[in-house]
Amino acid sequence: MSSAGSMLPTAARGILSSCRNPLRNASIAPVLSPFQQVRGLKNKPKKGKEQPTKSRKGPQEFRQKNLKDMPQYALCDAMRYIRAIEVGREPTVRKYELHIRLRTKRDGPVIRNMLRFPHAVQTESRICVICPPGSKAAKEALAAGAVLVGEDEVFDAVKAGTIEFDRCLAHPDSLPALNKAALGRILGPRGLMPSAKTGTVVEDVASRVQDLRGGTVYRERDAVIRLPVGQLGFSPEQLRDNMRVTLDQIKKDASALTDRVNKEIYEVVLSSTNGPGFSLNGEFRSDASPPTSALTGV
Amino acid sequence: MVNLFKRLRKLQTMLQTKVGTGAAIFPNVASASKEFPAVTRLHLTYARKIDQGHGGARHFWRNCLPRLKYHNPAVPMTVAQTSNQQGPAALTIYFAERVGSAAAALANEKKVVDELAPAPEANEQSAVLDIKNRTYQQIWDRVQAMTGAKVVPATSDDIALSQKLAEIKKRSGPDRQRVLAIRQAKKDQERMLAEARGQVDKQV
Repeated sequence: MSSAGSMLPTAARGILSSCRNPLRNASIAPVLSPFQQVRGLKNKPKKGKEQPTKSRKGPQEFRQKNLKDMPQYALCDAMRYIRAIEVGREPTVRKYELHIRLRTKRDGPVIRNMLRFPHAVQTESRICVICPPGSKAAKEALAAGAVLVGEDEVFDAVKAGTIEFDRCLAHPDSLPALNKAALGRILGPRGLMPSAKTGTVVEDVASRVQDLRGGTVYRERDAVIRLPVGQLGFSPEQLRDNMRVTLDQIKKDASALTDRVNKEIYEVVLSSTNGPGFSLNGEFRSDASPPTSALTGV
Repeated sequence: MVNLFKRLRKLQTMLQTKVGTGAAIFPNVASASKEFPAVTRLHLTYARKIDQGHGGARHFWRNCLPRLKYHNPAVPMTVAQTSNQQGPAALTIYFAERVGSAAAALANEKKVVDELAPAPEANEQSAVLDIKNRTYQQIWDRVQAMTGAKVVPATSDDIALSQKLAEIKKRSGPDRQRVLAIRQAKKDQERMLAEARGQVDKQV
């Protein structure tokens, strides 16, 4: 049962196996050793041994499928289908999504940025800012649209169980007070406890509030950028405006990358939270589309 | 991104939202008559589970409402799902100005009160249809009788496509068997090779 190698001490086996391996070196003809022909067929090179690694390179670019057979739709027609499929759903919760397929290399820089839509996609999120009351940061945060600003008043409200905000930021100056108030038990499970790790403890509270209120973060993954562009209740014109801003921004991002990197938009697909994806042909409406007023609201 | 062919097939099944039970056009302001006034809104209320006869209502939402919405994009349609199984399963149809006699007769068969349905506006009249313990096909027949909706016939292209899809579906069973056999044979082959290799290893 036991082979010769297994009877030897480990060190000796190591030596033995290193003797067996040279068939990988092309200089020695495999004809010399009859066993190795069989063994070497699918032997994977072990780690830590000096062997010439085969350079296995796949295609340099993401493969692009031919879109010849793909039916492409005008924006209004795609919206008509999506609205039919998402019928009876909450129109502020369901979102139109845009999937932008890029023609790009497999390696190299990726597009990631943030943008602000002319028609806000997220339903207004209420933001609470914990900072010393009356400070400059507090005034700026209020001006930027935070609903609740302060220290003790916020702590009291939270302890009383009235949490009327969806996001919580904190200024570093009031961090000691925040820790003293011991709100982690209450805010932690809801994901509202500010911490430097999640980027919710910041100096410049005001700009962060603005970002959280209206901005959408997007990034390229496997040559596709996916982002929500509108609520289901949006009119085709609103959606068109948002899409135009998105595509312009992405083109700008692509050209802002270094000169050697070439990215271009290959396909634009409109989808929704639970709907299928409709490849768009760039037209706003076709002859068969219903009037745009019919594609608005519930 | 999802494989192109998968996306293509998914889009072909979009045919389901165009053709089938409920593919019909409601009378609008232009085509309204005295008996069948224009339909302005729909509201459906039903409970989450199928107990107490709420199943047909959900099927109506799943099957008929998308088709209705596709053919009548301008008619707002809302759905409220409750957790009260004892509560009503009701379809409220809002008509412009008046309710036709057929609609009134069907709605009066069994009166239900749907508190979740929005109140009709000044120029609207609503008819509430009780849909408990009815299949979606029965519900659709009633809705059609109440509103006088005109069924949109499938075009020849649609029929051809649906026939093609049915054929593919029929073929998929044997195809699956065939591919399974190929994969199994390949796996067996690999296993035998691995075993043979293992024995050689031991001999050395």
